[in-house]
Amino acid sequence: MLKKIQKYSHSRFEEIGYPSKKLENWKFSSSKHLKKYLSNNSDDKDTSIDNHGDEYTLCFMNGEITLESLNKFIYKDDMTILDIDQLSDENICSTSSNFEKEALFHLGLSTIKSGKYFEFKKGSKFDTPIQILNFYSKKNEGLRISSFNIFKLNQGNNISIIEKDVNKGSSSFNLSLNKFICSENTILNHSMMYDDSTESNYLGYNYYELGRNVLLNIDSMNINSTFNKNFIEIDLNKEGSEVKINILNLARNQQHLDNNILMNHNAEHCISFQNVRNILKDRATCVFNGKVIVAAGAQQTDSNQSNKNLLLSQNATAHSNPQLEIYADDVKCGHGSTTGALDKDSIFYLRARGIKESDANNILVKAFAKEILQDFVNDDIRNLSENNLNHWIDG
Amino acid sequence: MIKIKNLKASIEDKAILKGINLEIPKGEIHVIMGRNGSGKSTLANVIAGNETYEVDGGSIAMNGNDITEMSIENRALQGLFLCFQYPVAIPGVSMAYFLRAALNAKNKHDGEEEMDAVKFLATAKKILSELGLDDSFLKRSINDGFSGGEKKKSEILQLLMLNPQLAVLDETDSGLDVDALRTVAKGVNEFKNDNNSVLIITHYQRLLEYIKPDVVHIMIDGKIVKSGDMTLVHEVEKNGYSWLVK
Ligand SMILES: Nc1ncnc2c1ncn2[C@@H]1O[C@H](COP(=O)(O)OP(=O)(O)O)[C@@H](O)[C@H]1O
Ligand SMILES: [Mg+2]
Repeated sequence: MLKKIQKYSHSRFEEIGYPSKKLENWKFSSSKHLKKYLSNNSDDKDTSIDNHGDEYTLCFMNGEITLESLNKFIYKDDMTILDIDQLSDENICSTSSNFEKEALFHLGLSTIKSGKYFEFKKGSKFDTPIQILNFYSKKNEGLRISSFNIFKLNQGNNISIIEKDVNKGSSSFNLSLNKFICSENTILNHSMMYDDSTESNYLGYNYYELGRNVLLNIDSMNINSTFNKNFIEIDLNKEGSEVKINILNLARNQQHLDNNILMNHNAEHCISFQNVRNILKDRATCVFNGKVIVAAGAQQTDSNQSNKNLLLSQNATAHSNPQLEIYADDVKCGHGSTTGALDKDSIFYLRARGIKESDANNILVKAFAKEILQDFVNDDIRNLSENNLNHWIDG
Repeated sequence: MIKIKNLKASIEDKAILKGINLEIPKGEIHVIMGRNGSGKSTLANVIAGNETYEVDGGSIAMNGNDITEMSIENRALQGLFLCFQYPVAIPGVSMAYFLRAALNAKNKHDGEEEMDAVKFLATAKKILSELGLDDSFLKRSINDGFSGGEKKKSEILQLLMLNPQLAVLDETDSGLDVDALRTVAKGVNEFKNDNNSVLIITHYQRLLEYIKPDVVHIMIDGKIVKSGDMTLVHEVEKNGYSWLVK
């Protein structure tokens, strides 16, 4: 079945081609530099991973799961794990209508070598978060590495997934496709932590399909990515669901960070919050494209979208484009965006109490970031993020 | 304590302070009264080193040291404290963190040991209760969502924690009800001793029912036009400022 899907995606990619700046989602982020990466055709598995993590960890090496981590994975009996190729229902692989229009989504899908389908058994609880480590080896210099994974939650599941990149010095183009199917009465906490010190590029397409009474938290922090563009699309298809997205991005030099969030309120009585903050130094750029669409009939929707950008250099640039499309009348929707430097009056206030200028600046940067980090669901991730933030500020 | 000589300052090329002379000896309380817009807050800000104002001439000295060119934080570390007329809200920074950071900076500068957490809390809680504030006040973000009264009390809390040598109170009495005014005045009186000084800036005489100044100055259009004792306050109360304009 995978072959069939890939054939279709391949032809879609050929048809659309690399995204141009004419497209709304690519207006401020060039795809040009991504063209030079060659598809990863080599089959030799790099076994140089010294650390497969603990029994809660799933390791992916260059986009493919490692057997070592799978074998010792503690939750494997509470799940069904299949190759995507083994799935009989093609619909499970279907994606959002918007990703369907994205050439690079198809490029990714058409070039994966394998992908996994993880289905969590009904009613199973998973107290300790599942950690996903994505390893990219040094050998991948100049290569494009694609991955596709599907996660399906069933009634009663409460699952935390923490995704981290472990880049071993490759400068690759990592194209990561994920689909999350959240059936009714499920809780999913998805944390994405990118702390990269290499020249790699990340492009993510994360699609979430929600049923009734789902609670979805997406927490993400991103540091030191040369190019990091993440698409998040959420379909709230049944009533009673709630989505919270907290994203903090830190960039310096010429780094480019880019969040594209589409929230489709297709059903009544759903809540969604988006909170995206970028802190930029040097000549870094960031983009926020956020859209909330409230469909006709999605009454009692409560949605808020906030993007705040802190520019620590005059040469940094933030592009912010929050959008609302409302086709229902009984809804509460808000959105806002601010971009600016540190507040002079606040700096004066702190300094007037004897606090050094550089310390005053740092206090204010941390305070700005903290308003995102304090809402991170997972304590460990919040602490890790705070440490990373402190390092970034000092470094 | 502080000696200001012929101080001139402007903002956006508009002259505001037009030659201020003022000397406050150790142990004294001085008051500056004047109409809205006469330049009182500008003077307070220039003393504190606010860089949005341009100093065009004159000098400020504290304990014999010229501080005219000194950084904001170094002035504070020399013992200068400004109670802000409009303290800014800083979401995400708790009062506790802020007070500790300020105290640590001061202790470090004075060559003293850092105050430990237990002593810090005990000291802060004592002052909080005197000001009629709950302990949970320390967990709130600086001035974020504070009422007018809470903002002023927060300034007094900082004043008492940091125990500076010179406190400049800019309209600390404005917008307070009688109870809050009394509490704030009590805090200032508690702070005051023979070794420090206070400069009260106000355009009412309300606060002066509780705090007795040694010298009263009248400021009009960026200049101190008259200095005297409490009788000057009553004259202004009765006749306004017009008679003072030459
Ligand atoms: N930040 C500022 N920008 C422009 N003008 C200012 C600013 N601050 C004060 N001024 C002007 O300076 C003059 C004195 O203001 P201020 O010092 O606040 O007076 P006071 O405190 O006596 O009421 C006023 O005319 C005011 O409009
Ligand atoms: Mg004023």
